[in-house]
Amino acid sequence: MIEFEYAAPTDLDEAIGLFAQAGDRATLLAGGTDIIVQLREGLRRADLVIDVKKIPELSQFEYAPETGLRLGASVPCWQIYENESIAAAYPALADAVRIIGGWQIQSRASVGGNLCNASPAADSIPALIALGAVAHLAGPGGRRAVPVAEFCTGPGKNVLQSGELLVALTLPPAHAGSGSAYQRFIPRNEMDIAVVGAGSWVQLDESRQRIAAARIALAAVGPTPRQAVQAAEFLCGKEPTEENLHEAGELAKQVATPISDMRGPAEYRTHLVGVLTRRTLAAAVERAGTFQP
Amino acid sequence: MSTEVPSRSTPDASDLSPSSAAETKKYKVIGTRPIRHDGADKVTGKARYTSDVLLPNMAYGALVRSPYAHARIVSIDTSEAEAMPGVLATMTSADLPDPWDKVENLGEGCINYAHLSGNVLARGKALYKGHAVAAVCATNAHLAEEAAAKIKVEYEPLPAVTWVLDAMKEDAPLLHDNLVTQALGEESARPSNIGAHIHFEQGDLEAGWAAADVIVEREFKTSSIHQGYIEPHVSIAMWNEDGRLKIWTGTQGSFVVRQQMAELLKIPVSQVLVIPCEIGGGFGGKIAVYEQPVAAVLSRKCGRPVKIAMRRDEVFEATGPTPGSYMRVKLGATKDGKLTAGEAWLAYDAGAFPGGVIGPGCMCVFSCYDIPNAVVDGYDVVANKPKVQAYRAPGSTHAAFACESVIDELALELKIDPLDFRLKNAVQEGSRRVDGPVYPRIGLIETLEAVRDSQHWNSPLEGPNRGRGIACGFWFNAGLQSSVTAAVNPDGTVSMSEGSTDIGGTRASIAMQLAETLGIAATDVQPQVVDTDSIGYTDVTGGSRVTFATGLAAYQAGLDIQKQMVRRAAELWECDVDQVTVEDGVYRYGDAALSFKELAVKLNNAGDPIVGRASVSPQVSTNAFGAHIVDVEVDPETGKVTILRYTAVQDAGKAIHPSYVEGQMQGGAAQGIGWALNEEYFYDDEGVMRNASFLDYRIPTAFDLPMIETIIVEVPNPDHPYGVRGVGEVPIVPPPAALAIAIHRATGCRMHELPMSPPHVWRAMQDR
Amino acid sequence: MVQIFIPAPLRRLTAGQAQVAVVATTLREAIEALEQQCPGIRGELCENDGLAPTLQVAVDNRMTRRMSTPLKADSEIHFLPAIGGG
Repeated sequence: MIEFEYAAPTDLDEAIGLFAQAGDRATLLAGGTDIIVQLREGLRRADLVIDVKKIPELSQFEYAPETGLRLGASVPCWQIYENESIAAAYPALADAVRIIGGWQIQSRASVGGNLCNASPAADSIPALIALGAVAHLAGPGGRRAVPVAEFCTGPGKNVLQSGELLVALTLPPAHAGSGSAYQRFIPRNEMDIAVVGAGSWVQLDESRQRIAAARIALAAVGPTPRQAVQAAEFLCGKEPTEENLHEAGELAKQVATPISDMRGPAEYRTHLVGVLTRRTLAAAVERAGTFQP
Repeated sequence: MSTEVPSRSTPDASDLSPSSAAETKKYKVIGTRPIRHDGADKVTGKARYTSDVLLPNMAYGALVRSPYAHARIVSIDTSEAEAMPGVLATMTSADLPDPWDKVENLGEGCINYAHLSGNVLARGKALYKGHAVAAVCATNAHLAEEAAAKIKVEYEPLPAVTWVLDAMKEDAPLLHDNLVTQALGEESARPSNIGAHIHFEQGDLEAGWAAADVIVEREFKTSSIHQGYIEPHVSIAMWNEDGRLKIWTGTQGSFVVRQQMAELLKIPVSQVLVIPCEIGGGFGGKIAVYEQPVAAVLSRKCGRPVKIAMRRDEVFEATGPTPGSYMRVKLGATKDGKLTAGEAWLAYDAGAFPGGVIGPGCMCVFSCYDIPNAVVDGYDVVANKPKVQAYRAPGSTHAAFACESVIDELALELKIDPLDFRLKNAVQEGSRRVDGPVYPRIGLIETLEAVRDSQHWNSPLEGPNRGRGIACGFWFNAGLQSSVTAAVNPDGTVSMSEGSTDIGGTRASIAMQLAETLGIAATDVQPQVVDTDSIGYTDVTGGSRVTFATGLAAYQAGLDIQKQMVRRAAELWECDVDQVTVEDGVYRYGDAALSFKELAVKLNNAGDPIVGRASVSPQVSTNAFGAHIVDVEVDPETGKVTILRYTAVQDAGKAIHPSYVEGQMQGGAAQGIGWALNEEYFYDDEGVMRNASFLDYRIPTAFDLPMIETIIVEVPNPDHPYGVRGVGEVPIVPPPAALAIAIHRATGCRMHELPMSPPHVWRAMQDR
Repeated sequence: MVQIFIPAPLRRLTAGQAQVAVVATTLREAIEALEQQCPGIRGELCENDGLAPTLQVAVDNRMTRRMSTPLKADSEIHFLPAIGGG
């Protein structure tokens, strides 16, 4: 690893100031589980590493059934799945953070960092998109909010401007009859990276017999996470039968434009989109049947 | 034809019987499970690995590696790196002595020093992505890495070839301008990438086919696989002003490192001291030197000790994979299930330099079966990949995948139970191998019978998408040279020194044999792996030989001690030597009796200290056979294979420390499962490995494996006083074939290519 | 008689014979006797004064590289590729 300077500001404005001043020479560090590896392997170069874990706004989270979840950008994964209310309200997110690395990684890695790293195969991003999450950014030019669905712009690329950082994520309140799930396909059973990932969210109607609304998001099938809008729209007003979920899976395949690489051939990945979309929809529907905030 | 079983005595054994060598005798130490002598250090983190060694004023080296799979090196400019503050020295292959084209047999296969030197640092051409081209050392590791990036290498990229059949084509890019095919006396006329052609024949093949009622022929492919040891290669070299070179390294053979250093640097062996540190896995990949000569030359240049530690990507891209292979196997049998003929055509890549593992591949392909008429052809083929090294039963796993798959298919065609079919044709004492020799007493039949009688084999396997497979495997196992010395302490314990670096619990298994011989407790022997100045020559920890051969040396050192103790006891009791008897470590004369410990305490202050020594070179294979049973479930939508149950059965001869025998069987099975299901070098069109990390090079984790059950079969090896056969290698051999067969039962698909990763199994299911 | 098993590629030097019987008490004598019967074969099996480094020899199941290895009256000799283990 090449030598670098390290700063750990305790104030958001101070961090923005440092970051803006250093420009491209600086990089932010939350859990560090991606950044440190990238620096060590020469995939990223930085003269200054700014640790954001000591900034209260980034390291805290609040949840209330009425207002939803506000998740500071540097909150580590384990805080989410260990919190029963959050895990029950946003099971897709809990599914995702439970499988990012092993326990050691989960005690450091943050959802915010997973989003900013903007890997096409990131596990938490399809879950966040399916759950309708919004990213809150702050920079030299002030603050703004961007839907997570629009946050990533390419492999490792995102909408953050120079000097701008992710402060928090917000998730809308989870209503009765809602449910979600995230699954990925990996050749092993742990410690692996998604060949394809799928996050699904459904809101059942009051009868709990029909799907009132749905969102489906996919990982590792294009340069950025993809939303399967047509598949989700197809489900609206329909019963969650095996046939309908299968059809949604088939429709979801249409947004997949995967590459062939060491993680799997393109045709296999496209096939998996159908399988995982159906499986996550089924899991989301089952959870929705019993969920009460 | 002689089928005489070799006598029980070993070539160098003295006439003294061990205190408990008779087969009927109950052992006191052997077969028990004492806590290993190095256990406390290992579990508390105090064991010293090379990375833990810090020397005063130590410098750190880094290597510059080729970004191309094949390229002419036009120029190397180190000036910018050398100008950096803190940079101490740089080097290229020009700093290594001109290599001699000398082939030497180092006990475990041969080494051509010209090739070895050219692999350490490229000469003229880079032959694979990651091939070391230059090196630098600096006052710290970060600076060294930065300086390495400042060494300017100009390359002229050349076309590369990584797949073995492509490399054999007439128009393939040539790696070496002067490589001709060696085929025992018949050299090819013009250069090619084929380094050797091996050919075996037994009987009359055409008559064999004519006698067959059913013939099955299939082709198979496998990818390159890495040994996947957890500890990357790390070494420290300190070349003193007095000319003495000291090397600290994690290696399978400290004496073999000494020999290679002496040859590559053209210095006398006596000028090299190798201090073996604890080793975090080797599996065959830590025998050849890589970074050690580089650290040595940098040390001589800068006058400081130099440490070089590889990163994981360097380990994958530049150290020993086992080959990618193409194989064709054809077998014929009669209606009543007797094999009549076999033919195998095997091509294994050797990596960038000739001399891979095709020889043992050819010798192993039919090694489990009595096939009267057989022909085997094998090709050693260079390709733009890291130089192939040994990996646990090198060459045998590939061959077993092919042969066992065809055996299974043939059995099904004949409507004979595949286990019965194997039992009917299994080799036994007197069977002739395709390469010629006749087996002595071996335990394949007993191993297969243990499968037949096992709870696993007799348990039902129900449910859709599930299947059960079995396969067997063979590995020779080596003897080679070993030395042991042992000193009796005043408290009746024994300090034992040996030269076999301990990869798999061999300190314990060697110490236990000494303890058994002397009639003392395992804890009363303190074993130590010592450096090359402190013990007689000892070959590598490889070939599953250490518990067998170094154990034999410990046994003989024990007899040496016992002989001295008897003589001294006779002096003590003022009787003749032959009036003293020894049984179970108790020395007797008339009514007088003293235990080993009591006698040792008495002798301590009277006369010469007692030191036993032995050096051995048993010239035998110990012939290990294993058979594995596996139950799988295949996800019909994704092709992912889940292992439901796994049992490894193996003839260990005699299990000295059963826990470590089981550990070897489980470890070998785990590595074989990884090879079968997910591991592969994934190359792009430019010959670049795209998955040089443990993230995308998928060895199995604990989540991917069930508890691997073990059944130890004990058919004593007639060439060892306690009956030991080697155990370490053969358990990697059966898994790919066993899994392929289980997947066939679960899906109806025959898998002919490794790895049987989810996309490949899914593809096969689509095509069915 | 000691039976020397001739590797298939060298049978061109033994008029196609797969086995050659010789009288010998050591491996060296056996190779010398073989050379008498089949001139040129020693050069394929030996280098300088010893066995070629790429070969090993099995004498009645014992692997050896020593030319002085003693033989029994009915020993079998096989020439095999040198192998390594992991």
